[in-house]
Amino acid sequence: MDFSLSAEQRRLQREIAAFARGELNADAAERDRAQLFPRELWLRCGELRLQGLMIPEIYGGGGLDAVSSTLALEALGHGCEDGGLSFSICAHLLACVVPIWKHGTEEQKRRYLPGMTKGSLIAANAMSEPASGSDAFALTTRAESRESGYVLNGTKTFCSNGPVADVIVTYAATDPAKAYHGGITAFIVPRDTDGLRTGRPFHKLGLRSSQMSEVVFENAWVPADAVLGGVGGGSSVFAQSMDWERACLGAVHIGTMQRLLDLVVTRARTRRPSGEPVGKQQGVSHPVADMKVRLEAARLLVYRAASRLDTARDISMDAAIAKLFVSEALVATAQDAVRVFGADAAIEGHAAERALRDAIASTLYSGTSEIQRNIIARWLGL
Amino acid sequence: MESAAESDIRGSIKDYILAEFLPGENPDSLSDDTPLITGGILDSIATVKLIVFLEESFGVRIEPHEMNADFLNFLPDIASLVEERRRQA
Repeated sequence: MDFSLSAEQRRLQREIAAFARGELNADAAERDRAQLFPRELWLRCGELRLQGLMIPEIYGGGGLDAVSSTLALEALGHGCEDGGLSFSICAHLLACVVPIWKHGTEEQKRRYLPGMTKGSLIAANAMSEPASGSDAFALTTRAESRESGYVLNGTKTFCSNGPVADVIVTYAATDPAKAYHGGITAFIVPRDTDGLRTGRPFHKLGLRSSQMSEVVFENAWVPADAVLGGVGGGSSVFAQSMDWERACLGAVHIGTMQRLLDLVVTRARTRRPSGEPVGKQQGVSHPVADMKVRLEAARLLVYRAASRLDTARDISMDAAIAKLFVSEALVATAQDAVRVFGADAAIEGHAAERALRDAIASTLYSGTSEIQRNIIARWLGL
Repeated sequence: MESAAESDIRGSIKDYILAEFLPGENPDSLSDDTPLITGGILDSIATVKLIVFLEESFGVRIEPHEMNADFLNFLPDIASLVEERRRQA
């Protein structure tokens, strides 16, 4: 596989990284501390169509192929020190915008995508439930057919963007007996729907500027045209969105790993407590070398998975491999960065400290590392 | 009545399911009446693997709303779906 970048792709990366460094980083540590979602910066990102990179231009998106979209997200991760903002963009784009693009009716695409791609509409995915955990399809939220529509009842949790969302993409059982096989349906639910409410924002370990909450449906009626991807088609809608999320969110992570490597190399070359740079000591240089190895391996896995998104019927194993490796590499890289910076990184707000807190959740969301191993093992026939 | 093509398709699908999801099982344990989804042989990932096999082997497209027991629970139903799609192509 040839992953050499075109001049256009290199230009795209330079522009997005420069934009992120120049416009998204001021007060990032303060937003993290105060757990503030930066709506104005979100809208600035929308001007660059970061919330609609791969969506066709006719719907207001950037019209990029999957690999170019991945490169753009990598540049965002490289330039942007606000991990929560990058994560919110990905949650919106990969778990909400992409499913509507891939499975929505023409009316749904024209109604939602222009606002979602430019950022004037914020979307949240509501799938996880308090009792279902990683077995996402063991959901208890119900959608009963009534009055030319559906009545939703149930509680969703860990909904990224929930407190600030204008639109919720959610999943409910329309035929509980069928479960995964035709019993789950996806819905697009506007925020102002009667019977829909969101809980208070959770206080999180990391990614704090990305707000998260419960989403509760209490006799929330939606019209039949709120169904996304056909009645009973929710499993396919969700599975495809996970393929995109697991492959492309990893792109932000490799950008973050590159940023941490840049910081650490600079530190190792310039800090001279005993006369020579600390990077001359193997206790420092070897962890830095490991960071580089993990970065390059992760980059190849993400590019390979992304290269198949536009063409393959299913990339769930490739996406699981990339997600598993990249998320664990991100945590290890952030830990190495903390080691190299030493006590400085033990102070709240330090770039490595925030990166480590942000990294922890990457092995949990979109399916834990154990779930990714389960998927890979099942594809191997185990 | 099942056509010769449909019978061949059903045989290929049966061989695939035996090899992938029922390794070591007596081939006679998988009959036309064996429920694949409601009997627990095809879970979520197994269903996706079967769909990929059908699409790549027979050049057909299986739609998301067809990934359920109405279309995939029995070998003859799967073979009929594939044959129908091939005729439409």
